[in-house]
Amino acid sequence: MLLSRRAFLASSLAAMSIPTWASALPIEAQGELFFSAFSKGKTDHYVGAFGSNGRLLWSMPLPDRAHAPVVHPTHSVVGAVARRPGFYIDFFNPLTGEAIKRIEPLAEHHFYGHAVFSQDGERLITQENHYPTGAGKIVIRSWPQGEVLNEYSSGGIGPHESVLMDQDVIVIANGGLRTHPDNDREIMNLETMRPNVTFLSLKDGRVINQAEPEPLLHKLSIRHLDVNRQGVVALGFQYQGELWENVPLVALVSANSDTLDYLDMPEQIRARFQQYCGSVCFDASGETLAISTPRGGFVAYWDVPSKTFLGVDNCRDVCGVIATNRKHEFVLTSGTGKQLISSPRTRQISQINQLADLHWDNHLRRINLNA
Amino acid sequence: MLITKQALAASVALLAGSSAFADQWDNTLEQIQSQYIVPKYENFSASADELAKATAALCLAPSDTTLETAKQAFSQNIQDWQQVQWLNFGPVTYFMRYYAYEYWPDKKGVTQRQLRTLSADPSTMATPKFWTSASIAVRGMTAIESLLYHSDFDVVAKNSDCEVLEAISRHHATTTHDVLTQWQQSQATDWIFPEEGTTATPEHLVVEQLMQQWIEHMSVVKDAKLETPIGYKDQPTLKLAEFYRSEQTLPAILTNLKAYRNLYHVGQPSLFDTAMAKQPELAQALESALAENVKAALQLPNDYFTADYSQAERIEMAKPLVLSISNSQTKLSNLVTKLGFQIGFNSRDGD
Repeated sequence: MLLSRRAFLASSLAAMSIPTWASALPIEAQGELFFSAFSKGKTDHYVGAFGSNGRLLWSMPLPDRAHAPVVHPTHSVVGAVARRPGFYIDFFNPLTGEAIKRIEPLAEHHFYGHAVFSQDGERLITQENHYPTGAGKIVIRSWPQGEVLNEYSSGGIGPHESVLMDQDVIVIANGGLRTHPDNDREIMNLETMRPNVTFLSLKDGRVINQAEPEPLLHKLSIRHLDVNRQGVVALGFQYQGELWENVPLVALVSANSDTLDYLDMPEQIRARFQQYCGSVCFDASGETLAISTPRGGFVAYWDVPSKTFLGVDNCRDVCGVIATNRKHEFVLTSGTGKQLISSPRTRQISQINQLADLHWDNHLRRINLNA
Repeated sequence: MLITKQALAASVALLAGSSAFADQWDNTLEQIQSQYIVPKYENFSASADELAKATAALCLAPSDTTLETAKQAFSQNIQDWQQVQWLNFGPVTYFMRYYAYEYWPDKKGVTQRQLRTLSADPSTMATPKFWTSASIAVRGMTAIESLLYHSDFDVVAKNSDCEVLEAISRHHATTTHDVLTQWQQSQATDWIFPEEGTTATPEHLVVEQLMQQWIEHMSVVKDAKLETPIGYKDQPTLKLAEFYRSEQTLPAILTNLKAYRNLYHVGQPSLFDTAMAKQPELAQALESALAENVKAALQLPNDYFTADYSQAERIEMAKPLVLSISNSQTKLSNLVTKLGFQIGFNSRDGD
């Protein structure tokens, strides 16, 4: 009997005793779980999950600091992607605490701290740096086997974060920075860097579209991004030039445009960003955009249809941002251990919880069964 | 609901403790502002005024003597600036004032290029909105240093160069006076953006930001002022050292390091007093580390940045100071963390 891919996947996960989120999410989670890496002190690093009341429901220690979790769309699997230069993604069943699998990068490659599952959960997609050459890669592995199925050029250098536009197209933030794990914070190509956003076919690795900042803004490293259901991609920059330079820090782009549509904001707000955007996130409707800046200590919001600036939530050391299933609502996490819930259009923000002695790391993810 | 006597007593003690703790930072912060920030800005503003007067006198009667007077006024103004340079907080953060004070390092010679353009027609600087849109490269001390010391300019022989110098010096004095006035007329807590629902007092949040600024400035001194120009880890770029042309690089470092000690001890209770009460070992360790910084800087010869030393010689001489500043930064970070301040997690080390 021939086994379909879907059936095979289901059987593989079943063989590994991995339940679906729907069948196994505890009642306490109320249909949603939030995931983030966190640290305690300088040397103790974890990935953990909390529910809508902010209580930590699960955590597992990690060998090094992780950057962003990657959450399986259907089964109770969450991966902690090691921070650049990352050499592991550790996968767990957060409902049992069981360690499922470790995936390592290709030889002479490292991860960038982000990964994404395909919509059907059958493939794991990672961004990797072939550090001898600096070539950016998109690597597609079967899940849960981890077998490399395809290896594509990312269309640039330094592919940091990617998001799925649909089941066949991935959008990649090629940050433009060439680095080497021997000295991973040294930028080897500062004067020649050319960041871009690339729309890539997952079927054959073909570049469908690319957009990049104009030459004068070539140090505008594109690091984080999100896509809404209307197909609008939001980009958050980390400018590698001087702190005093007046440069745009947020842009929108679409698959059929090769220009970046920079979003305005008041200059006193732009200056407070300190040239650094952290997380980029649309709300459930795709009409509100949130961009965090831990260096500035706030999250800024825009109305996407009119491209107008809405305001900020001040929050020290904030970086993690994720949409809830309610329109115009976000959950935020900070390095001070806080979890907050914000409705920027009604200017309401409240603290859900604060976990003392714990630093939430850069990015927050969520699984939702209530949608 | 029943509350035991012990629980009530414990609650009262806890409230009293937290209140005393808040008052402690109230006093310390008030005195950091009144006994450190304001007086240092008074000095900085006064020497900026003197510099403006000296450049006016120079342009009125150009000579080697008036030039020398202007250079001395400039040196004093730089030293006064170094006392407050660690503090990128409050009034100085508006209108890009902090970055306009020093356009450094100017890797592409933007300052000289823009000054040459201004010197070609200094009358443009008299237009009403010139300074509101002027490049930060020509608004502060980096530009003044270029005009006084760079071979592209001759403020004694060329009227237009001196006109530019006079205008920038006047603008610099006005800006500094404005920053001073704002510090005198406000409280430090007016300059923060508090979080909604935070339980920390505004005073705690300000002191936390000051501590973050202090820690970050130690990196500036070690990395940008010392390691980078001498080529500690890479190629040397001596001409990009801070105030290299006026030979103020090493004096500036020394002033910064002395300012740290001053900051640590200002007021009653000072940061040091509070630290001694709560974390005596760490407090004393920081005290020793800050003293060691000054001692190590004083070991460097006066011509350290200007004489014909080899890269290897400079590195060897710098090692004790580099290690000392690193050590003091670690000690300061450990101490402020133990005192209950957040020094930043995502904000200090993102990707």
